[in-house]
Amino acid sequence: MRGSRAASWVSPETRALQAALAAEQAAIYGYGVAGSHLSGAARAQATTWWLAHQVAADKLTAMLQSRRARPAPAAVAYQLPHQVAAAAQAVSLAATLEDQVTSAYLGLVALPAQSVRMLGAGQARAAALRAAAWRGSTQAFPGLAISG
Amino acid sequence: MAADPGRRAVLAATAVLPLLVAGCRGTQALQAPPQPAPDVSRLRGAIRAEEQTVARYQGAVRLLRDGPAAGTGSQPATIATLAGLLAEHQEHLRQLRKRLVPGSPLAAGSAPLAAPARPALPATTRALLSYLGRAEQAASDWQFGQVPHVPASLAQLLASISASEATHVPVLRAAGGA
Repeated sequence: MRGSRAASWVSPETRALQAALAAEQAAIYGYGVAGSHLSGAARAQATTWWLAHQVAADKLTAMLQSRRARPAPAAVAYQLPHQVAAAAQAVSLAATLEDQVTSAYLGLVALPAQSVRMLGAGQARAAALRAAAWRGSTQAFPGLAISG
Repeated sequence: MAADPGRRAVLAATAVLPLLVAGCRGTQALQAPPQPAPDVSRLRGAIRAEEQTVARYQGAVRLLRDGPAAGTGSQPATIATLAGLLAEHQEHLRQLRKRLVPGSPLAAGSAPLAAPARPALPATTRALLSYLGRAEQAASDWQFGQVPHVPASLAQLLASISASEATHVPVLRAAGGA
């Protein structure tokens, strides 16, 4: 039987996986909002990437379950970083969401397990590519807060 | 520029020991040259790769500015694009170099990072952009491959740099590379 101390201890890996899942869930919600303000190719792109985030969230959910952790459920609604009333704001929102996803996956890169690290690095790279595509510009350190 | 004493100290500590051992040079002690710790070797590899990338971009900008096609067509826009990407690589290089300890036995004992040779570059703008795009992808993949083998904080930096370099590929394609 686990005591209450053991039950409340969360491994760094579980914590990082939960953080990545939370970022994916926020992205899924946010892409839904963004997509409704987009049309044509941008909307199609948003739909494709919305699905990619759902697949990624499913994978993280399965990883948490296989570690006997309970995946945190998605919230009903998320506080968006800014208001979205037009296409330009929708694009900006999508880019910001991808930044947050990139950052969360870099959390996995700091873990000891190689497979988890590589998953994090691969997903961080994918999210950085999507962020750059939305933003139309690149960053020196996607997902990291580095200045000078 | 803020130093990063914690991280530096770790890398320095891993680097010092083999060099101290090599310092006690009895005649039979020098059977093998001292090897820097694997983490440090990989960091130096990442620095070298980034230096080569910077040299490639500097060469490309020079070629477009001063070469036979200088001042024609969309050259100024292409130069501006390459200058932007070059600036990001210089940022990568600066952050990677910060992780090496200046003046440490490592820095003095192993060969200094020599300035990379001027790379041979394709002459046409289109071929040049394609070449840079392939080099970016290769560099991104190389940094990516280092991620499982280095300490956590360096792994995060290399993963971020790998991601940044991957985002340069579509920029070069949009600028006219194949």
